Amino acid sequence: MADAITINNLTKNYKDFALNKISFSVPMGSIVGFVGENGAGKTTTIKAILDLIQVNEGEIKVLGADAKNLPKEIKAQIGVVFDGSNLHDNLTAKNINQVMKNIYFNWEETVFFDYIKKFQLPDKKIIKEYSRGMKMKLSIAIALSHHSKLLILDEATSGLDPMVRDEILDIFLEFIQDEEHTIFISSHIISDIEKIADYVTFIHQGNIVFSESKDELIYQHGVIRCKKEEVAGIDHSYIVGIRENSFGAEVMIHNKEEFQKHFHDYMIDKTSIEEIMLFISRGKENL
Amino acid sequence: MKGLMIKDFMNLKKNAKIFSVITLLYIFMAYMQKDASFFSGIFTMVFAILTLSLYSYDEMAKWDGYALTMPVSKENIVQGKYLMMLLLTAIGTTISVLFTVILNIVLKSDSAFTGLSACAIGAAVVILFYCVTLPFITKLGVEKARFIFFAVYLVPFLVIILARRVMDGVNATVPSLLIKIMHWVISNIAVILPIAVVIALTISYLISIRIYKKKEF
Repeated sequence: MADAITINNLTKNYKDFALNKISFSVPMGSIVGFVGENGAGKTTTIKAILDLIQVNEGEIKVLGADAKNLPKEIKAQIGVVFDGSNLHDNLTAKNINQVMKNIYFNWEETVFFDYIKKFQLPDKKIIKEYSRGMKMKLSIAIALSHHSKLLILDEATSGLDPMVRDEILDIFLEFIQDEEHTIFISSHIISDIEKIADYVTFIHQGNIVFSESKDELIYQHGVIRCKKEEVAGIDHSYIVGIRENSFGAEVMIHNKEEFQKHFHDYMIDKTSIEEIMLFISRGKENL
Repeated sequence: MKGLMIKDFMNLKKNAKIFSVITLLYIFMAYMQKDASFFSGIFTMVFAILTLSLYSYDEMAKWDGYALTMPVSKENIVQGKYLMMLLLTAIGTTISVLFTVILNIVLKSDSAFTGLSACAIGAAVVILFYCVTLPFITKLGVEKARFIFFAVYLVPFLVIILARRVMDGVNATVPSLLIKIMHWVISNIAVILPIAVVIALTISYLISIRIYKKKEF
C-alpha cells in the first residue's frame, strides 16, 4: 500500500520546544488519527507537512512529491481544515465560492453548494455571524469541493458539540469509502479518533510514541489490577505504565498474549486508546 | 492569483459607502473653493491607504497560512498584493484625473496641467512609499510595521533639516553642482520619475519575495 504522507526524521527546533527526528507514515486509503496533548507538536507537524514552517531537518513526502514547494496540481488535491476558520469575517458563503472558483482549477460549485445546503449554512450571512460549528462546517465544505484525495484536518472537531461532531465524522467516513482517499486528522478528543481511525499516531513532547493500527493497539494492550507490592514482581518489559491509588495499582501492559503465558493469575481488562495514552503520558513516572 | 484579488476586492466592498461619501464631500469642497488643483491627487492617497486595509484583513483572518495550502504559491501571494497596490493607486489616480479635468471644465479655470501633474506625482509618491513599506509589512505584519510609515515620512525631513543646520554652522552654501543636478532632475522629472518608480518596484518586489519565502505561518 502506498503512503499518502511519509515523514522521515523531521526535526524542528524552537526555543522552548522541539520536534525530535519524528518519522511516521499515513497509508493511502486509511484514516490516521494524530493524537497528543496540547503543545505536543501536532500543529507543528501539520504545518511542516504543509510547508508552512521552515524545518531544520528531515524529509516529508505528500502524495508522492516533496512537501517543500509542492506542485499546484498536487496542492489542489489536498483539502485542509484548521482549527478556527481562516476566512475573512465580511465574506459570505457565496463570496467564498467566487474566490475558490478562481483559486482551484478543479473547484466544483455544485458540490460546494450541496454541502452548504446539507450543513444548513446560510449563503448570504457573513462569516462573522457564524457560530464556531458553522465556520468549521464551511471549511470542511471547502475542503471537500475540489476533488480532494487527501484531507488534512487540524483539530477540526474540537470545540463542537457532540451532535455536530458526529455529523462531521460521518462525512469523513463517507469520504474514505473511495480507496484512493486518505484522512490525516489531529485531535485531542480521543473518542473521535477511536470512532473513525484505522491507525493512531501518538505524539508526546515532540516525540512519536507509537504509530500503529488502532485494533492492534487495543488488542495488544490490557490493564491488570493488583496490590502495590505485586508490581515489583511483574517483568518490566511488559509494563507500559502504572497508576497507583489507595486500593492498589493498575498496570497497563502490552504484548498481552505473551504476558498471559507467564502470568496466568492476572485478569487482563480490555483497554482503549485513551487509556493507553494516559498510562504512557501520565503513568510513567511511577515506574 | 485572480482568486486572491477577487477576495481583496470583496473585502474592500465594505469601504465603498464611506468612499462615495468622501468623494462627494471633496467634490463639494473643491466646487466651493473654486479650485481643483488643490484636491488633485487626494484620491490617489485615499485609495492607496486601502492597500494597508487589505493586509489587516488578511492578518485578522490568518488567511495566508490557509491560502498557501491551496494551489497558490508564495510568489502568487506577494504578486497579488503588489498588483492590488498598483491597481488601487491606478483607480485613485484615474478618479483624481477625471475629477481635475471635470472641475476645470466646470470652473472654466486653466489649471488642468498643474492639476494633472500633481496627480501623476501623487501616484509616483504613493508607489514609492509602498516600495519602501511593503517589504517591512511582509516581514513584520501591518501592525508592527506602523512605525516604519512614520520613519518613511520623517526621515527625509529630518535629513534636510539636519543638513541645513550643519551648513549654517559651517557657513557653507549649497554647492552649485548640487543645485545644477536638482535643476536637471526637475526639468527631466517626467522621464526620471517613471524610471525611478519601475526600479524601486522591482527591487522592493524581489526583497518582499525573499522575505515571504522565509516566513513561517
